[in-house]
Amino acid sequence: MKTNLFIVFLALCAVVGSCKKPEANDLYEVNQVALYPSIADKNKMKTQEQYVSILHTNLFQTALSGSELVQIIDCLESIGDKELGREVLISNFMNKPGVILPSDSLMRADPEVFVNQTYERFFVRRPSEAEKTWFIEFIQANPNLSAELVYFAFALSNEYLYY
Amino acid sequence: MNRRNFIRNASLATAGAFGVPYILPSGRLFASTGEQMAPHVVYVLFAGGVRQQESVLQRYLDDSQGMPFAGNIMYNMFNGDAPENKIVYGTDQGNGAAGGTPIPRILNQTLQSQGLLFREVQAGSAGHYGGLNNLLQGSTVTTQGLKQKPLNPTIFEYLRRHGGYPASKIWFVGNGIGNSIPLLNYSNHPNYGSRYGANFFAPSITFGNLGFEHLSNARIYHPENELDPMYQMKYFLDQSFSSVGEGGDSLGNTEEEKLSIKEFMRDMYERVTLNAVALPPVTDSYDALTIGFSCEVMKWFKPALTVVNLSGVDGCHSDFTGYLRSLHRADHAVGHLWNYIQTQIPEMANNTILIASPECGRNLNPNPIKDINDWYGYDHSDANSGRVFTIMAGPNVPANLGIGSEGNPIGLTSDNVPTIGQILGVKNEIMNAGFLAPGSTSLFDRI
Repeated sequence: MKTNLFIVFLALCAVVGSCKKPEANDLYEVNQVALYPSIADKNKMKTQEQYVSILHTNLFQTALSGSELVQIIDCLESIGDKELGREVLISNFMNKPGVILPSDSLMRADPEVFVNQTYERFFVRRPSEAEKTWFIEFIQANPNLSAELVYFAFALSNEYLYY
Repeated sequence: MNRRNFIRNASLATAGAFGVPYILPSGRLFASTGEQMAPHVVYVLFAGGVRQQESVLQRYLDDSQGMPFAGNIMYNMFNGDAPENKIVYGTDQGNGAAGGTPIPRILNQTLQSQGLLFREVQAGSAGHYGGLNNLLQGSTVTTQGLKQKPLNPTIFEYLRRHGGYPASKIWFVGNGIGNSIPLLNYSNHPNYGSRYGANFFAPSITFGNLGFEHLSNARIYHPENELDPMYQMKYFLDQSFSSVGEGGDSLGNTEEEKLSIKEFMRDMYERVTLNAVALPPVTDSYDALTIGFSCEVMKWFKPALTVVNLSGVDGCHSDFTGYLRSLHRADHAVGHLWNYIQTQIPEMANNTILIASPECGRNLNPNPIKDINDWYGYDHSDANSGRVFTIMAGPNVPANLGIGSEGNPIGLTSDNVPTIGQILGVKNEIMNAGFLAPGSTSLFDRI
């Protein structure tokens, strides 16, 4: 009996002793990787409300008020071609004070970083190598292209309608 | 690579991958070979539930309030003398009595004498949305929901698919965005849909306070230096996403058409600011606003089909006096519309056919709600609500001809769709599509 109790006692000591909170600076030699959804997972279309709210947040880094959202939705309802309505709305947003856009010089200084960040900002994913190459070449081939126009194209794209 | 090369290459690549039907989803590249009676049609959905008794039958208060005062308060559309007593439908100017000054007529010759009047037509529905769907689809589907796009193809889609009309030549101008009106510009039918839909504005919103607040301050981009590369990027992004999804709600306006529509919008905001919109002389109703902007749409785009929805008379549920005023103003607005086409749009003068029909009538007996004159209101749900008229005028329309009578109804509101099809050359395609209400045919076949 005493032997059994002693064995149980030793087992408990071993269990308690082995449980140890890992140190914050433990290294497992695995790189930190940000995970993004795949393009193939985007199968749900945003509602108009979601589209407008997210667009405003992407461009102004602030949320749209509820009353403004309702008003803008009414405006979009009043235009038959919804794609055209979105285009008009985006160009109005671009003309408003407070819109936050990267500078053109920043875009041209490192197009790869700009393209990566733009894809993450609007599509919540990284571009494929082919997409990245195409955009970098397009930026370099069009010296008058502005970051605003790149943002415009992303905001107007079909992929931006989905999540 | 310029924009056109990019688009051409992208299209060819897509075709190669998925087959030719993606290039020609309509199955038709060229306009229908059907003979046109006129190149332009203006179709007025008139005007929110109209009783035969106060319109075609010209009984004014005689058949509604038990008062022996008859007369014609729609003297731009119909022949007949105006009432001589109990005048409440006009403006408040002049003798000081509310509504005591009738609005002067605009047309020297009524639409009735210029054209063809079907005096007693059967409406497809006693309700607004069902009635409007009937006027635009040529049928009334029993499963059609209120907050639902039309289930069967609309006249817009027939014309664009079978007639090959571009998006900017087919317009629907709504009186607002309530009551599912913006849903009517195309159907959910899988063989038709948004790619054949009509361009739509609800001017009270688009060019009203909300539009000014959120749409009028658009940044103006250079079409070639800025918009071209922007579209190239968009098309590239769309192509990358094409295996996953598509926009789904584009009407297929080309870049040039979109540019034109945006320029039109800018012009309208300027005109509103300058108080220079082509409104009718009397503008104290939303219908006047709708008609005014419809005139502007026609002047700018010269559409093959312009559909205009008026709705002011629906106040009759609780305000019979207001109903009479709205009816008088709707007639005034249609008179202005016709006069504007003939005098201000040379490309459409003398080669446009106008068609007007109420989407439904109103009840034979009143409800218990009295207005300021102690007159009863009228709802719309009984057999009398199925009684309406259709009036047409323009080239190749017989002049001064009346068809049918109170005891001899001839025609259906669903006839309007094949009638417009006949005018614009796609009647056979519409008839053969198989979606019209039973018995529907072109009104020209009923003469």
